[in-house]
Amino acid sequence: MRLLVVEDEPDLLAGLARALRRAGYAVDTAADGEDGLYKAQAMDYDAIVLDIMLPRLDGWQLLATLRQTKHTPVLMLTARDAMTDRVRGFDTGADDYLVKPFDVAELLARLRALIRRSAGESRVRIEIGNVRIDTAARTVTRDGQPLTLTAREYAVLEYLTLHRGELVTRSVFYEHLFDEREDTLSNLIDVHISNLRRKLGRDFIVTRRGHGYMIPA
Amino acid sequence: MMFHSIRWRLQAWHGVLLTAVVAGFGFTAHRLARAERLRIIDEELQTRAAQLSILPPSIAGNESRLPASVASLFGDTFYFVVWKPDGAVQASSGFVPADLTVPPHTPGQQTHGLRTRGTRREFYRFTQSNRCFLVGRPIDAELAALRRLAWYLTGVGAAVLAFGLLVGWWLATRALKPIAAISAAAETIAAGNLAQRISTAGSDDELNRLARVLNSTFARLETAFAQQARFTADAAHELRTPVAVILTHVQNALASDNLTDEHREAFQACQRAAQRMRRLIESLLKLARLDAGQEPMKRESFDLSQLTHDCVELVRPLANARGIALHCDLPTAPCTGDADLLAEVITNLLTNAIEYNRDHGEVRITARRANANVLLSVTDTGPGISAEDIPHIFERFYRADPSRTQTRDHTGLGLAISKAIVEAHGGTIEVASQPGAGATFTVRLIT
Repeated sequence: MRLLVVEDEPDLLAGLARALRRAGYAVDTAADGEDGLYKAQAMDYDAIVLDIMLPRLDGWQLLATLRQTKHTPVLMLTARDAMTDRVRGFDTGADDYLVKPFDVAELLARLRALIRRSAGESRVRIEIGNVRIDTAARTVTRDGQPLTLTAREYAVLEYLTLHRGELVTRSVFYEHLFDEREDTLSNLIDVHISNLRRKLGRDFIVTRRGHGYMIPA
Repeated sequence: MMFHSIRWRLQAWHGVLLTAVVAGFGFTAHRLARAERLRIIDEELQTRAAQLSILPPSIAGNESRLPASVASLFGDTFYFVVWKPDGAVQASSGFVPADLTVPPHTPGQQTHGLRTRGTRREFYRFTQSNRCFLVGRPIDAELAALRRLAWYLTGVGAAVLAFGLLVGWWLATRALKPIAAISAAAETIAAGNLAQRISTAGSDDELNRLARVLNSTFARLETAFAQQARFTADAAHELRTPVAVILTHVQNALASDNLTDEHREAFQACQRAAQRMRRLIESLLKLARLDAGQEPMKRESFDLSQLTHDCVELVRPLANARGIALHCDLPTAPCTGDADLLAEVITNLLTNAIEYNRDHGEVRITARRANANVLLSVTDTGPGISAEDIPHIFERFYRADPSRTQTRDHTGLGLAISKAIVEAHGGTIEVASQPGAGATFTVRLIT
C-alpha cells in the first residue's frame, strides 16, 4: 500500500513517514500544498494523509482540486477541531478526520479502515480457503497455523487480497508497494510471489503470464 | 417595590415639595387678604369712634341728637355704645348686639383696643374719665368672602399641584428614558451579547455622555473577551502541532524492538507528558470556546437519568477497581440541552467522586425533577472539602490538595469546564461538604 503524506511541519512529516513505513506502507511525502497536489494527481495512492494548514495551497484547496479527477481516500489531519471545520472537511470530500495531536495507533487503524473500505472490503479478518488474513494485526494463518511473512510479502498478499478477482500487473505492484525513495525495477515481485506460494500453497496466487498475478475471487 | 423606582421617588419628592410651596403660598395669600380686610374695617371703626368721642357728652349721649354727618356714618351696619364710668349705658345706637359687654380695662388709664367677638369686629376706647366708647360692626360678609377665597385658593392650588405632578411625571419619564435604554442594553450584554451598544443619538446631555462612556467600556470588554478567547484558541492551536510531533516520534521510538529499559522509561515519561499536555490543550480550547460562546451547543430533549445511567456504567470499572459501591436513584428526569456536553459534566463528577473517595467507599447518584428544574447530585464518602477550598473549587487549575498535583492524572480544569458547560445551559452547579464527611455536588438544570 502506498500513501502520500502532505504536512508542512518537517519533524511531524518525518515522524509520520517513519510510523507509516514501520507499519508496512510505502510512503511518499510532500511539504507543501502544490507539491502534494502534483504527486496526488500523478499517482494512484491507496490513501492520502493531508494536513489543512499548508503553505502555497491549503488542504481544502488541494482536496477540492484533487476531487475533480481522483477518488483517492483522504484522511485530513489538522490542529483545528471546531465542528464547522470538520463538516467542511467532509463536505469537501475528505473521508476521515483526525485532530492533532493523535496516537499513532489510531492513525494506523483509521488508515487501514479507510483503505479497506475504498477497496470494498468491510471485514478486518479475511478468509480465503484455508488462509486467514488479519489486516489489523497484520498476521496470516494457514489451517490455523501462524505463518511468518516478511513485511513486503505481507504487503503483496494484502494488496492481492483487497483486490482479489482483479489482475494485478507488475507495474501496479511497483506503484503501490514501493515509494519514491526506492528504485527497484528488478524481479523482486516474482521473488515475493514465489515465497508466498511456498507458504500459502501453490495455487493460492494465479499467474497470468506476461500480465500479472491475481487471487481468484 | 414602588419606591425602589427612581421615577416614583422623584415623583414623591416632587409632590411633597410642590404641595409645600402651593400650600405656603395659598396660606400667605389668604392671611394677607384677611389682614387687609380687617385693616380697612378697623380704620372705619376708628374713624367713627373718633367722630363720636369729639362730640360733647350731652350730644353723644343721645342718638337722636347726633349731627346728620355723624349719623350717616353709622347707617345700618355699624353700632355704638357709650358706657359711663359706672358701667351704665350712657348712649347707644338703635341696633346693638344683645351680648355686648364692657371691655376689660384698668381704671384711670386712657386705652383703646380692637377685638373680634364671634362674627363682629369692635373698636373701643376709654377716656381719662373712664367713659368707654365702643364702635362695632358684623363682619359675616367679609368672613364669608375670605372663606370663598380660601376655597378658591385651595382649588387653584390643587389644580396647580395636579398639573405640576403630571408635568413632573412626564419630565421624569423623559429624563429616565435613556436610563431604560441603557439598562436594556446592559442586560443584553450581561446575557452574553457583547456586540450590543447603547444608542447615543440625540442631545449631548449627561446621560448621553454616560452612554458613550459605557459604550466605550463595553467595546473594550468585547475586545478583551475576543482577544482572550482568540489568544487561548491560537495558543492551544499552535501547541497541538509540537505535541503531535512529540507523540508521533515517541510512539515510533516505543514501537521499536531494540530499546534499552532506560530508553523505554524515558520515552514512556515523554509520552505521558505529551498525553497530559494534549488533554490540557483540549480542555483549554474547550474552556476558551465556552468563554467566547463559540462552543456549538445542541438543544435536544433527553432523559437526564438515562444519560446519568450510561455515564455510571462507563465509570463502573473504575469504581470496582477500588471497591467503591455506586448507588443510583434515577427516576426519569426529562431535560433539554447538549447531551454530549452534559455527559462530560456527569462523567467528570463521577470520576472525581471515585477518585477522591476512600477505598470501599460509596457514591450516591440521584437525578430527579424539582418543579421546573432537574437536579442531579453526586455524593461521595471521601475526605470532603475544607471550607476555605469550597469557594475556589470551580476555579481553573485550583487544587484542593497541592500534594496530589503530580500523582493524579488531572488537568485541574475538569470542574471549571463542568461549571462552564452547566452555566452555558443556564443551570447552576454547587458543592456542599463537611471535612471528613464527603462532598455533594449538585447540578440544577432547567427542563
